Amino acid sequence: MLHLWLSGIGGLLQARELMFLTLGMAMGLFFGAIPGLGGATALALLTPLTYGLDPFTALALAGGVMGAVPMGGSITAILLNAPGSAPSAATCLDGHPLAQQGKAGLALGAAASANAIGGIIGTISVLAILPIAKELVLLFGPPELFLLAVLGLIVVATASRGKMLRGLIAGTFGLMISFIGYNDVTGALRFTAGIAYLWDGVHLVPALIGLFAVAEMINLSVKGGAITKDAKAVAITSMTSGLLETFRHWRTVVRGSLVGTIVGAIPGVGGTVASFLSYSLTVQASKNPESFGKGNIEGVIAPEAAINAKDCSCLIPTLAFGIPGGVEMAVFMGLLVLHGLQPGPLMLIDHQVEIYGLIWALTGSCVLASFLGLFLARPLSKLTLIDSEILVPTVMSVALVGSYAVDRNIGNVIVTAIFGILGYLMIRFDYPRLTMVVALVLGAAAERNFHQTSMMSDGNLSIYLHRNVCLVLLIGIVALLVAPLFRGLKRAPAAGLAL
Amino acid sequence: MKLFGTPLLDYLPALGLALFTAAFLATSYTYSAQARAFPAPVAWVTLALIALDLVSRTQTSAGEAIRRHLNPGAHTPEASHALDKHLAAALWLAVFAVALALIGVLCAVPLYMFASLRFQGRRAWFTSLWISAVATGALWLLFAVLLRLELYPGYFFGGA
Repeated sequence: MLHLWLSGIGGLLQARELMFLTLGMAMGLFFGAIPGLGGATALALLTPLTYGLDPFTALALAGGVMGAVPMGGSITAILLNAPGSAPSAATCLDGHPLAQQGKAGLALGAAASANAIGGIIGTISVLAILPIAKELVLLFGPPELFLLAVLGLIVVATASRGKMLRGLIAGTFGLMISFIGYNDVTGALRFTAGIAYLWDGVHLVPALIGLFAVAEMINLSVKGGAITKDAKAVAITSMTSGLLETFRHWRTVVRGSLVGTIVGAIPGVGGTVASFLSYSLTVQASKNPESFGKGNIEGVIAPEAAINAKDCSCLIPTLAFGIPGGVEMAVFMGLLVLHGLQPGPLMLIDHQVEIYGLIWALTGSCVLASFLGLFLARPLSKLTLIDSEILVPTVMSVALVGSYAVDRNIGNVIVTAIFGILGYLMIRFDYPRLTMVVALVLGAAAERNFHQTSMMSDGNLSIYLHRNVCLVLLIGIVALLVAPLFRGLKRAPAAGLAL
Repeated sequence: MKLFGTPLLDYLPALGLALFTAAFLATSYTYSAQARAFPAPVAWVTLALIALDLVSRTQTSAGEAIRRHLNPGAHTPEASHALDKHLAAALWLAVFAVALALIGVLCAVPLYMFASLRFQGRRAWFTSLWISAVATGALWLLFAVLLRLELYPGYFFGGA
């Protein structure tokens, strides 16, 4: 095993491979920072350009892109509340409030170090898991995946800072939106109102750009001023403090990295769930949960660690079974096929050096991109001082054109605008956007797994009680739903005394 | 005007959601049993949750109990900004999105930027002009030149 690891590293430490890794990293940072583009777009644009490269070099380039995208996404998520890619949306929740308080450097420093450490922990986990990956992935069938989706939604709703009911409403509302379009199990076309664009459903990335970037710009436009009011606060912010904060909250980093590794290994779940789940678990584990969403540094560290750890473990289902862990991995599979590397169990046997090379490229890119992100953080922090009158139309233009660029469809622009207004209404009327995002991501997969489970059991729901993993997940769901009632009962006597 | 001790306007968000969900539910029953097997129960659950949300907004003992158990951190928005400000912000966005669809990126972006800076931000004519020109140029450079993406020409200029 060790000689394979060393062969992977050795192959990567060639001048040509390092050059392409660096190029990929720079592209990843750039694409990650632009709302609406992200890793999938970068890889899609890059794939045809790698045709002349040998497989190892092409994988170094791809690893560079995939490892750096999260850091790029974090920069705009923290500074502009505009996540470059969907998983970075969780970083907005506390990263942007920190930027508003003039602590953008602190948040960026923490994000960078959490990114790097998360990537390293993810790599270690993947290296340990890879030999037993098959058994782990096979534990999750359609019933488990369906319950996992339900559990994910409820976990996020319960972590909505005392707004569980509204969190659940936002979640089920998101599910309803995710049902729009062609259903691949039943073959039915639903809720499209005759609009051809909606046959593929509501496109996720344009919707996220609307919910976060555009909604925040509407909010800023209504309030006026700049994101950060205090110029001095931006100038004196120390990124070193952010780096140290990550080490101070090492439990959050480890928890986030493990969540990212586990979620990433489950096909089709993806980075958005990993980052939001890590965030939610951190809120639940915190002694001060009400401080989240208002600029708690742990709210930056948790999702960032999860995102990069997920990037490594996402390779497991993609390479071992040919089942992409997410959209980015689906595009990456295209690159593999282009270079004659057929994803599947045989790949783990026939192309081990390339696989380990890819893992090291991804890790190297995570760490190096974090350092580069730190260098860029200080000048980028100044962005938050720009007056809203200039910032709003500029970000709106980038967001809407970026939304169009996702798949060159003008319908995306309309979706972004609609979700922008919806997101603003959710901010104003105090409905958490978090659960809605998770529902939008998981909705289609949840329904597919629900139908597959029904087919497996001829519609008999007792199947959920006869499988061990399902039972554990069910207990988790019930416990999460019942917990607030007990908490409320505990609060009641205290409230009574106060009155 | 109040209902159960709460101003009628405070019920509007939940009522709006209820209307959407009811329409969704009614539509789902026009599909086959298999096609609505998951959407319909989700819509029913949503309606039940919205009903709880509506009750939680009332100043009754039931409302207080629901707030305490399920929504202790929720708040009602303060009327800190005039309604016309919210409507204006949404209208600017809507007009920009429609303009992008009708006249394309290279016409809509400079027009929107200029109009927004000049009339919403009250910047000088020249300042508005150069900022919008630079921003449009940067967008063109990024998307059309570096990423080689064909910018949407607009429905009036041959866009599909």
